[in-house]
Amino acid sequence: MAIGVLLKQVPDTTAKIGVSEGRVDETAVSKWSMSPYDEYALESALRLKEAGGEDVVAITCGPTRAAKMLTDAAAVGVDSLLHVLVDDLSALDSTQVQSILAAALGRADCDVVFCGKQAADTNAGSTGPGVALLLGASCVSHVSEVSPDGGGYLALRASTGGDERVQVSAPCIFAFDKGDEELRRPNVRGIMMAKKKAIETISPSDLGVSLDNSRVTVVSHTPPPEKPPGQKFEGAESVATVVGKLRDEANVI
Amino acid sequence: MAYEALDFYDIDALLTEEERMVRDMVRDWVDKEVIPNIEEACREGVFPDKWRVDLGEMGILGAPLKGYGCPGLSYIAYGLICQELERGDSGVRSFASVQGSLAMYPIWDFGSEEQKNHYLPGMATGELIGCFGLTEPDYGSNPGDMITRAEDKGDHYLLNGAKMWITNGTTADLAVVWAKLDGVIRGFIVEKDDPGFSAPEMTGKHSLKASVTSELVFQDCQIPKDRILPGVKGLKGPFSCLNNARYGISWGAVGAAQSCFDSAKEYALSRIQFGHPIASFQLIQNKLSWMLREITKAQLLAYHLGNKKDDGTWIPEQISLAKMNNVDIALEIARMSRDIHGANGILDEYPVMRHMANLESVKTYEGTHDIHNLILGRHITGIQSFTREP
Amino acid sequence: MDVTVIADSTADGLNPVTAQLVGAASSIGGTTTVLCPGGVGSSQASAISGVAKVISVEGDCFGTFEGGAWANALNSLATGELILAAASPRGRDIAASLAAIRKIPVIQDVTGLEAGMVVTRPIYSGKAIETSNVSTPCVITLRANAFDDAPEGGSADVGTVNQSADVGLAVKEALAKASERLDVTEADIIISGGRGMGDPSNFSHLNEVADIIGAAVGASRAAVDTWDEIPHSMQVGQTGKTVTPSLYIAVGISGAIQHLAGMKTSKYIVAINKDPDAPIFGVADYGIVATWEDALPVLKSELAKL
Repeated sequence: MAIGVLLKQVPDTTAKIGVSEGRVDETAVSKWSMSPYDEYALESALRLKEAGGEDVVAITCGPTRAAKMLTDAAAVGVDSLLHVLVDDLSALDSTQVQSILAAALGRADCDVVFCGKQAADTNAGSTGPGVALLLGASCVSHVSEVSPDGGGYLALRASTGGDERVQVSAPCIFAFDKGDEELRRPNVRGIMMAKKKAIETISPSDLGVSLDNSRVTVVSHTPPPEKPPGQKFEGAESVATVVGKLRDEANVI
Repeated sequence: MAYEALDFYDIDALLTEEERMVRDMVRDWVDKEVIPNIEEACREGVFPDKWRVDLGEMGILGAPLKGYGCPGLSYIAYGLICQELERGDSGVRSFASVQGSLAMYPIWDFGSEEQKNHYLPGMATGELIGCFGLTEPDYGSNPGDMITRAEDKGDHYLLNGAKMWITNGTTADLAVVWAKLDGVIRGFIVEKDDPGFSAPEMTGKHSLKASVTSELVFQDCQIPKDRILPGVKGLKGPFSCLNNARYGISWGAVGAAQSCFDSAKEYALSRIQFGHPIASFQLIQNKLSWMLREITKAQLLAYHLGNKKDDGTWIPEQISLAKMNNVDIALEIARMSRDIHGANGILDEYPVMRHMANLESVKTYEGTHDIHNLILGRHITGIQSFTREP
Repeated sequence: MDVTVIADSTADGLNPVTAQLVGAASSIGGTTTVLCPGGVGSSQASAISGVAKVISVEGDCFGTFEGGAWANALNSLATGELILAAASPRGRDIAASLAAIRKIPVIQDVTGLEAGMVVTRPIYSGKAIETSNVSTPCVITLRANAFDDAPEGGSADVGTVNQSADVGLAVKEALAKASERLDVTEADIIISGGRGMGDPSNFSHLNEVADIIGAAVGASRAAVDTWDEIPHSMQVGQTGKTVTPSLYIAVGISGAIQHLAGMKTSKYIVAINKDPDAPIFGVADYGIVATWEDALPVLKSELAKL
């Protein structure tokens, strides 16, 4: 058995996103990073291992460039690395991605799985719950902390009325929100070890997952609509108007 | 905002994955730990102890040294570390330079097996801090005439004299001190509690304010016989150390220059005068273009020199040229950046005035700008012009 | 087309987004059945115009939230060609689980929906918009306030079905919501005060607004330098924190270039300042020329109404 961590490489959240010929121009992305919530998941997985848990396996599904993220994960202490090579993730629908990840977790023999609650590119949040269903596992979402508890685990999760500490046993998936513990910094020794760590690179068909036609077809990417020019209002009574615009025009409250 | 380094000629593509990972590790650390705290450290005139701990934990001290718990990285990686640290502050890079190139290196190259095993592992983790005593109050560019003396007293050495401008001196656990024994320059390891040794801090600096600068004073300082570095005699010892430190400075200066360039560019794009961003004015663009040009050249110099360090084909004069040039342009870029920032440039809201003041020190220490010119002059003509004697 | 809407609720009843889900379903000509997990809000749901049927889905499994268990309990009733849920934390979880059970695709956080299943959604945190075609059956979650509410005035039949599902987790402890104030670097909404607040004690008014909308409170350097009570950790700007929230509300801040450097990449900026010529209005999406004394009470009451 092992602890699985599902990682996704995304454009750094501070990177500019450009659109060219109807598609987000990935070649113009200045920096690729591990998705931020995945970082919290990874840190928690490493802590679970240090608390007497099993080895940690990092799994990603993505193009060649994603291998760098796995090496970064190895530099902070991940034991083994599994890369399911898929050139264009956006060509797959959620059921396809989840089938691949569930099969990869099965291959790596993981019964406890950590992932981010959503990736910073699609901001969807389907992977944790979806993969859990395929594996017959419980999924605890919006988790900020996990600790071993007898044979099972205690997880701190956000709920509608406040935080809750919930108990769960394997097989289970923890979909991470921002945790208290940031991902540890690597060190030179870790980087040297990571360089020597082999990445097992496989294809979806190696996992017995056949990719039929995706049921979702991306038609186009477009830049966000231009914001209207700044509007200025006189007097405190205009606050109501502005609050209305924030809700309906800007959709930020 | 994730830092995007100026890299006009894509030197990034020439690095190994390991070098990039080390660089990114230090880059992130500088962004998270140094830049948000540097102004406070400067105001208080301290080098925060957390930085020492972090540098040790990252495992980058004594970067290019191999064995004895040292990292064993390439010289390119060492250069990248210096570049990122000095993008934060020259004082942080100075700390690492002194620890690695000036204190660890001489023990690693000229020390006995016992000395290496005793000191290097703790120095690599930052638990032991070292400093380097060569310069004296009256002997800076001319260290060969140093006054500090060591006498062989049979069962110990007796040191007398004083060193000045010593980075890390007051906080150091040990000092590698160069002194004349029977008229020959030798290296000695002095520990902080050795009788007759003191290291008062120098205050009142307008430069490198987050770095500890000290005097080292030896008054009948007794040290055991096994503290002499057996492997070297003469100025070759300290000069070997300085070569490595100067090499690191040639990269570090690029980092300081990048920081000043970034700040100038950002400011010029957001500062509106006469109804337009000042970045749209030709005189500002001319300055930014000059900065880009000089930084790019400096990066190529440093990178190529790094390759020569790694394959062992370098000569000291090449290091002199890189140190001299890169610090020179970094200082000029800092001044130009201050100019673009207008009055705002003198505020500690922006890093430029701090870099500028730091670089005035960097221009002078580890061989002044002019001394490096003379080293190159001698290389070109075969005629030394340091002294009036033949 | 048959549409199944999963009602979005808290213990207190339906969330307003439920009426938006129905509105979106109606806009593409759907015949809507609303499923109310745990039976919460079924009478409210029946009063939404355009709802054909409400099923109050009851069962022990709804006592503790587990997306997978709830989806299993709802699954046999979620027979629509299109299943709609809210893009709330729970809604996304249920939607993803239902899709996985039914082996159909799920698209989350949709802000535009057209018949023929053309959906648009923001990606990369809103830095781009994706338009895609989805084949039915599928599950789609909708972002709150992106669609118009269906009006009230319906009177759909309410049926009750009892379902069961295995719940794999147990709540051991419920913790009160952390009262600790958010850090400005973490918050999605920030309200900042400047020296125009007049006195540090007046920051309490900013705190009150922040509490209503879950915002962090920030400050300009002028405020931090002038008043010891305002800590440097609150400072937004060149030497403070650089922030990029969805909404930044600047109160009594003139907008020095150093402050703008720390917040100008916020998605939306609201400025409240009594000086109509303050530079902060140059970067504001919505500027309000008023004193904070006049504006903040209105802001508080308007936000409390949401």
